[in-house]
Amino acid sequence: MLIKLAGGEVIDPVNGKTRTRDIWIRDGLLINAPQGETADQTHDVSQCIVMAGAIDIHSHIGGGNVNTARLLLPEHHAAHQRRPAATPLSNAGWSTFRTGCLYAQMGFTTVVEPAMAPSSALHTHLELADIPIIDKATLAILGNDDFSLSLLRDNTSSAMLDDYVAWIVGSSRALGVKVINAGAAAAFKENVRSFSLDDEVPEYGVTSRKIVKSLQASVTRLGIPHPLHVHANNLGIAGSADTAAATIEASEGVPLHLAHLQFYSYGTEGKRKFSSEASRLAAAVNGNRDVTIDIGQVMFGQTVTISSDVMRQFSAIGNASPKKFVIFDGDGNGGGGIVPYRYKQDYYGSLQWAIGLELFLLINDPWRVFFTTDHPNGAPFTAYPELFELLMSSAARDEQSAKLNASALELTTLASIRREYTFDEIAIMTRAAPAKLLGLKDRGHLGAGAIADIAVYRKGRDVAKMFREAALVFKNGDLVVKNGKVTNYRWGKTLRLNPPADKAIVKRMKAYHEERYGLPLDWFTFPDSSIQRDEPFGEVPCNS
Amino acid sequence: MSVAWIGSQPVSLMDAVRKASGLLKASRCPVFTIDADVHGTRSAIALAERVGAPYDHPLGQTLSREVALFTDHGGMFTTAGEARNRSDVIVLVGDIPPHHGGLLLDWASTQPRSDKLKKRSWFHIRGSEYSGAPKLAVRAVRVGGDDLSLGNVLAVVRATLQGRQTLSSLTNIDRLLKSLSAARFPVFVFSGASGQMPDLIMLQEMVADLNKKGRAGSVFLPADEAAWGMALTSLWMTGFPPRTGFTDSLPSYDPVRWDIQRMIRDKEPDLHVWMSTRGGQPPSKGTRLCLIALERTAVPVQGTAVTIAVGQAGLDHDGVCYSSKTGTFRAVQAAEPSQLPSLSSVVRQLAVALPGRKALVC
Ligand SMILES: [Zn+2]
Repeated sequence: MLIKLAGGEVIDPVNGKTRTRDIWIRDGLLINAPQGETADQTHDVSQCIVMAGAIDIHSHIGGGNVNTARLLLPEHHAAHQRRPAATPLSNAGWSTFRTGCLYAQMGFTTVVEPAMAPSSALHTHLELADIPIIDKATLAILGNDDFSLSLLRDNTSSAMLDDYVAWIVGSSRALGVKVINAGAAAAFKENVRSFSLDDEVPEYGVTSRKIVKSLQASVTRLGIPHPLHVHANNLGIAGSADTAAATIEASEGVPLHLAHLQFYSYGTEGKRKFSSEASRLAAAVNGNRDVTIDIGQVMFGQTVTISSDVMRQFSAIGNASPKKFVIFDGDGNGGGGIVPYRYKQDYYGSLQWAIGLELFLLINDPWRVFFTTDHPNGAPFTAYPELFELLMSSAARDEQSAKLNASALELTTLASIRREYTFDEIAIMTRAAPAKLLGLKDRGHLGAGAIADIAVYRKGRDVAKMFREAALVFKNGDLVVKNGKVTNYRWGKTLRLNPPADKAIVKRMKAYHEERYGLPLDWFTFPDSSIQRDEPFGEVPCNS
Repeated sequence: MSVAWIGSQPVSLMDAVRKASGLLKASRCPVFTIDADVHGTRSAIALAERVGAPYDHPLGQTLSREVALFTDHGGMFTTAGEARNRSDVIVLVGDIPPHHGGLLLDWASTQPRSDKLKKRSWFHIRGSEYSGAPKLAVRAVRVGGDDLSLGNVLAVVRATLQGRQTLSSLTNIDRLLKSLSAARFPVFVFSGASGQMPDLIMLQEMVADLNKKGRAGSVFLPADEAAWGMALTSLWMTGFPPRTGFTDSLPSYDPVRWDIQRMIRDKEPDLHVWMSTRGGQPPSKGTRLCLIALERTAVPVQGTAVTIAVGQAGLDHDGVCYSSKTGTFRAVQAAEPSQLPSLSSVVRQLAVALPGRKALVC
């Protein structure tokens, strides 16, 4: 099948300047314009811009904690419900089915669930397999489990840690590794209530810094393309900017990704001792080429916070709205907390909103700042179109700012920043850079050989509308969205690494699970066939 | 061996599927009861959505109470693994279903890791409604009072922990308080069978109290593991736990309206599709309601229009089931592989036989 997208304005920064050209697709892949052939299918996209399919590197779309949030909040669905249509399970609030459809309608074709507990990987993958259309991936959580902490306490060889990390990544089918408030979940079990970079985990005598540095080194040695994904200590606390700055500094020449930096960009100035440190942290990021960050932008309205940072979530239960929550002390890396929350246009909400935008606008390099709301923690991903508009229009920011708490905004630099993201920068931030960061060479651009994941948007003044309803979306060359509506359901894959498992570590894992849980290892692992879909996984190579 | 019957007559699987899809198509108000592993449930819910049928689990009454603890309150929980490795005090609350006995015995044979010399102490908070049968698998110090319901016992324990005066006294309350005050990680163990909703909420409030200064958790052992696995699957499939139905093709969660047993009693449905991979008794048995049974059976289910025999995950074929031991799903292999079709394969055939001939999304 030969498909031609004719006459669009192609925004593909990896392959050159924006220009009007045709895009050709053959059998799911992009090709150069073929000589003397006519397309089987031609789409006139002359009034449109054409980009690669967008990639979301950090969005909590499936797994145990997300499902518990559904259980806790059957009333939360209204926030996610947009329009009824007679499609399979399409109206189901934030079901897996709806998740895939809503993402696809916005032109997103790959989404990473960033917090998979290895011990419940099967559950996560069952959910991801039921998200239609798009490709998915997960990051395996490490650093709060007894096995990691014991290795670090005992100063075991780094080769052993590498074998363990490789086994976790391989057996849980992850695309990378995330550490969440390193050591804090283990410390919380011992009744520790606050935990910073140089604090020690009781019983193990290992600092948070040592956990982060060891995992960062291991990920690098193993050739895992995505740098260690760090959810730092002290999330949400006034003064947490110091922790974030120290964590950025701790990268020490080795790649490191810092998640949802907005939630750490808080100082202690002002009457309420809660202020913006966004410009300071933006400068720190600008000055450190090894660090990438995503934002975790806050948008106003009802949402639910879902995090494996159980210590932080426990501290937030007093602000639960509505007044209910689940706090879960899990095995190793499997705990977390679900706390519903409403972002109001009050002092705190206004400040958080402005800080996210400051970071977006003050970090110069679109290759190192990533577009996230930490769905659903800052806002549901359905708020993305409005966020694109805020980034691309200083007038839109002014208009929104006028409705917000003035004393909060005064403590930020937002009003003075007139930068507006260009389409090129949007394409880098949401396509090219995520592909590079995750090691996905087959996507994020529109060059020959890439998979045909393509988003076509109709040009218009209303940027939010444009990004909410893509004119056309192709996934692996299949037309899946037309005029903002899903027209074709297909099943994507979950992208994973598959580092070879060392025989000795498998033996050790068997013994460890028998001893610790009284259960055979195969209670915790699973064959691909248990997903019951054809080819549920797609393999991504490690760096050699 | 036959796997399909129309009435009591053996027929080919294809004929039975055709007959069943005809009944589904003609039905004005079909209802589903689903008891299967993850994959059977996924297919069954996808079909329910297709035909607009509300669905529930055969043990929907207890399951809906367990669900309601979360939808109405939430709480602080931990896993069986954490209880095994870290708890120094275990407090059983009310009735613990006997199938969890092995888990309790396993905990009883291990010590908290932080203090290998210390023996774990066991308590059992119970009220006058405690059935006492079957016997608990482990020895535990009984905490209760004459004629006090579980809710009242919990209220007294909570008040005493808060240092408030109470009118009633409980046997062994001093021992419990002493153990709790010295504990690093006390764990309260309960199931949906332990008590009524207010009791379960009271328990969670007590756990929350204990976490103000120290640490404590609760282990939720579902009254029925397959039912809990079905609820979790329903959550991601439709966004809602059971009891869920479809209004104008939108899923809606309503534990009263979509209580299938109530609906059958009130004669609302005109077709009941009973899907149970472990057998059991359809609630519509003995009523005149038209019944399709997709059940693990060697004989036609009495009183059905159509019976199709299906296998059970972990027995006849591989599958994915929920386990309290890990607090999550696990892949299970066929223990005695058989020729019985899986529920999901039968349901997919049913869907394709419906008008429109569309394949299911699962
Ligand atoms: Zn996150």
